[in-house]
Amino acid sequence: MIQRARHELSVVFAIVALALVLAAVAPAYFSGENLRDLFVASVPVLIVALGATLVILTGHADISVGSTFAMCSVLAGVAAKAELPMPAVLVLTCAAGLSIGLMNGALVAYVGLPSIAVTLAMMVGVRDALRWATEGAWVYGLPVEFQWFGLPVSTYPIVAGATAGLLTVGLAWGLRHLSAGRAVYAVGSHREAARLAGLNTSRIICVVFGLAGMLTAVAALLNAVRFNQVPSNGGLGLEMKVIAAVVIGGSSITGGHGRIAGTVLGVILLGMIGPALTYLGISAYWERAIHGAIILTAVAMDGFRSSTPRATSRVRRSLVEAP
Amino acid sequence: VTTRSERILAVAFLLEVVTFAVTAPAFLSLANGFEIVRVLVEIGLLALAMTPIIISGGIDLSVGALMGLVAVVVGWLFTDGQQPLVVAIAAGLALGAAGGALNASLVAYGRLPPLIVTLGTLSLFRGVAEGLTHGAVNYSGFPEWFLFLGQGYVGMMPAQLPIFVLGLTAYAVLLHRSVIGRSWYAIGTAAEGARYAGLPVPRRIALAYLLAGVSSGVAAIIYVARLGQAGADAGIGYELDAITAVVLGGASMLGGSGTMWGTLLGLLVLAILRNGLQLAALPSELTGLLTAAILLVTLAFDRSRRSHARAVMSPATEGLTVSNAQVAALCAAVLAGAALVAAANVWGGLKH
Repeated sequence: MIQRARHELSVVFAIVALALVLAAVAPAYFSGENLRDLFVASVPVLIVALGATLVILTGHADISVGSTFAMCSVLAGVAAKAELPMPAVLVLTCAAGLSIGLMNGALVAYVGLPSIAVTLAMMVGVRDALRWATEGAWVYGLPVEFQWFGLPVSTYPIVAGATAGLLTVGLAWGLRHLSAGRAVYAVGSHREAARLAGLNTSRIICVVFGLAGMLTAVAALLNAVRFNQVPSNGGLGLEMKVIAAVVIGGSSITGGHGRIAGTVLGVILLGMIGPALTYLGISAYWERAIHGAIILTAVAMDGFRSSTPRATSRVRRSLVEAP
Repeated sequence: VTTRSERILAVAFLLEVVTFAVTAPAFLSLANGFEIVRVLVEIGLLALAMTPIIISGGIDLSVGALMGLVAVVVGWLFTDGQQPLVVAIAAGLALGAAGGALNASLVAYGRLPPLIVTLGTLSLFRGVAEGLTHGAVNYSGFPEWFLFLGQGYVGMMPAQLPIFVLGLTAYAVLLHRSVIGRSWYAIGTAAEGARYAGLPVPRRIALAYLLAGVSSGVAAIIYVARLGQAGADAGIGYELDAITAVVLGGASMLGGSGTMWGTLLGLLVLAILRNGLQLAALPSELTGLLTAAILLVTLAFDRSRRSHARAVMSPATEGLTVSNAQVAALCAAVLAGAALVAAANVWGGLKH
């Protein structure tokens, strides 16, 4: 157990170290307002990252989430402007996200195309279709009940937090205890073996992509209601951010290995860094470089770690087999 | 033997040309052809370098970002650093090689998954470029002779075309007529098998990523010369275009198949699509939609061919052969280009 949680522990260590530095150098970082902003900005990223974790667990990658995010945001804005009630907006947005996800999933699982190529095409296609439809214009003039769901500003973080918390705990529990969850790991570990064991691997992959699309839609809606206009170019670079969070959290990019808890920690670490730079007096333009350095460190550590146990077991075997 | 996806691509290419020739009168002019070439060269250099990487079963997402970093460093050394431009260019090329070497060491020797490594270096390169320029500084004021590289004409053709032709020839010979090229195919088909066959797998993979770094450096310098300015946004999204061109050209993302010939066709289809839509006054957003559609259709066709082939014959016979005719055609194109330059130079000399 401790062995398995070692990666998560090193991420926790990084978070604590960063927090200590910040506490010493810039105590203002821990003001209630800043922490609230940080939390509210990280919730959508976390929800998208949950879906990305599922996809990566099956051994695939979805780089179309940024475009899906933008499209769902605009759709939510347009639907709200057409005076649909908020529940209907939620359903419509989720349906849009789900259908993009299922389209990805069907092309990957049933047609057998590589997921990078499919989601690359979807990323470019959806983004350009959106630009064409909106002509780059933002959605303005939203009804009052759109922003913050018509709730007081102070209750919004509770709603967002509760949604993200429920989804996180639900997914973590489901992956561990439901047969559907175990099937995701099985497909990611060895698709052919999973098929021979009687799992409908194509359907599992398709559903996982669909879920990722739907989670992206939920995140887009939660994000869109923070403002009183909807930009038509949202979610740029989101795919990189969530894949980074998942990998930092210790999931293997080749599938079959990883946990939701790790992804949560990855999102927290990445989310802390952006505002931290401003407080530490570093230009915010370095954020991306630091993200890159963290991804490389995490993946290098991961490679290092996965080769060490093999080495030790070989040593152990030679000790046992020694005459 | 042309593969089926190459034939589909050739048909798509002809369809595009006919459509745009009818809808946009300015399309079928020499000047427009050169315009297409100018834009094609930078993405083309990246696509050439991407081909062996994808054939050997890898991917490099960082090429566009490396272009941005090289562009910024060249501009910074020249303007703020007060270095001669030649020194700045040399430093830029060295930086490109260093970026490629970083990818190479992590992927080939560190045995880390290329998708995630190059995703990390993408953020790193682009991030450093943004950090150095604070996302706003655009270096300009380059001398005339440098801008010639991106805007001038050698005789009658764009000055950057010879560089691309040289790169194409070098890569075509390396990939299709050398031991190194064969080992890229072997590694992409079965890396473990290649290792057992005694191939130096890490060294061969490292070479592909290293060359991609150098290519990105060259592409960055041509980009700066074409636009006359160097900013952190150089080459944004180019990696996607390069990958699309290679995959359109029939390379499998799983490795083991693909040709330079196919990549060149893929590039032409992409570049003409973009240019033609612009001239026909169609919304430029259609480019993305159509590119995505072409990509998916080609992949699906290729996929169905493969599964038929697998059902009919054993996997061993599904080999990839590049006929001498194809290499000859490539070399002929290269020679024709060279002859054109020479003729243009002679003609130019006579006129003066």
